Amino acid sequence: MNAHDDSMLDSVAVYALGALPPAEANAVRAHLETCAECREEYRQLLPAVSAVGASAEDSEPSPLLKKRIMRQIRPNVGEMKAVRPIVWPAYAVAAACLVVALVTGIMNISLNSELRQNQTQLAQLSAHSAQVTRELALQRTAIADLVAPDSQRFPVQTGEANGEVVRHGSRIYIAMNALPAPPKGKVYQAWTLRTGASTMSPSVTFVPNGNGVAVVPIPVNAKQISAVAVSVEPDGGSKQPTSKPTFVLKLS
Amino acid sequence: MEDADRLMAGVRARNAAAFEALYDAYNRLVYGVALRMLGDVAAAEDVTQAVFLKIWSSPDLFVSGNFAGWIVRIARNRALDVLRSKSRTHVELPEQQPDDEPLEDRAFAAIDAARVRSAIKQLPPEQRELIEMGFFGGVTHEELARRTGTPLGTVKTRIRSGLRRLRSALEGMVTV
Repeated sequence: MNAHDDSMLDSVAVYALGALPPAEANAVRAHLETCAECREEYRQLLPAVSAVGASAEDSEPSPLLKKRIMRQIRPNVGEMKAVRPIVWPAYAVAAACLVVALVTGIMNISLNSELRQNQTQLAQLSAHSAQVTRELALQRTAIADLVAPDSQRFPVQTGEANGEVVRHGSRIYIAMNALPAPPKGKVYQAWTLRTGASTMSPSVTFVPNGNGVAVVPIPVNAKQISAVAVSVEPDGGSKQPTSKPTFVLKLS
Repeated sequence: MEDADRLMAGVRARNAAAFEALYDAYNRLVYGVALRMLGDVAAAEDVTQAVFLKIWSSPDLFVSGNFAGWIVRIARNRALDVLRSKSRTHVELPEQQPDDEPLEDRAFAAIDAARVRSAIKQLPPEQRELIEMGFFGGVTHEELARRTGTPLGTVKTRIRSGLRRLRSALEGMVTV
């Protein structure tokens, strides 16, 4: 706690009145956080300041003002804070579920570590927790990017599958729904075309979940690529496409 | 005056009737502060409208404590926004409520504006002038010193003395 300084009391009064310039007001506000005496003085003076304001209550506005205000609020009557329900796309829901799963995993890990009290395991768990935390942060970033209003969205429709390639700043994602599982021993592989290049570069491999949902961050600077493609490749991925692309999408 | 906490709970539940009752109870207070500060009926009504629409759109801004004291500060700060647009120097009131303000709760429940005005009139003129100019004029203590030709330290001391005297007067009016 700060030492009380009587000379601050006058400043506290001027602060309560709202007559301190911003810099001094900030200093007094900070002082009040740590000085009980001055905080009590402020609390004591505040009713008087409010009374000064209340003394002005001697006239009333036009009745039309009330009508004007009520007219403005009535269209919103019955609304809760979330004015429009946010309909999350399936891939965003999947991503959110993944976050929940990760959080649950962290909780389980934490419980186990407490029970075992094994230093070695704790160290391992700590490392794992850090990794999960990093992954969780990535997932949060992905969700934020996927729903950001200023993201660029490139629709994808291929067979029964649909989705989007979403670019937000330097990050880019493939977000697919109803994507069929690849044949046994196969995976989907993303490909990127660097701006100015003539051949696609291999990128990450992935498989959709049981609902056909796949949200795949592509580890590339999105600002430097001009096209994205996906093809079915042998498990482990390929250096060159070995099948007809599932889709090819120009980012323009 | 209806219980503001109950009305605000209704406003949070998007109850227009609760909002209307809140407006009926506090519009004179908001309008009075704005009119005193701006001296213009239309501008004061605009501030009043802005304050109540803000309460409707963001009812969670008011957490707890004395609603009248809180809405006075909101009204003053919105009126200062208008004064600022005229390129003058003004300072805002802290809008956050202190955790504990029992006197204020009781005072506002029991004292009407006329009695408050009477208490303010009882202040020594040099204290009343500084307090009213500081609150309704929205000017800094330095500007107060310049305008009244009073040393800065004296301005601050007079403000504190006046507020303490006013508080004592309020305590004398409160019946519990």
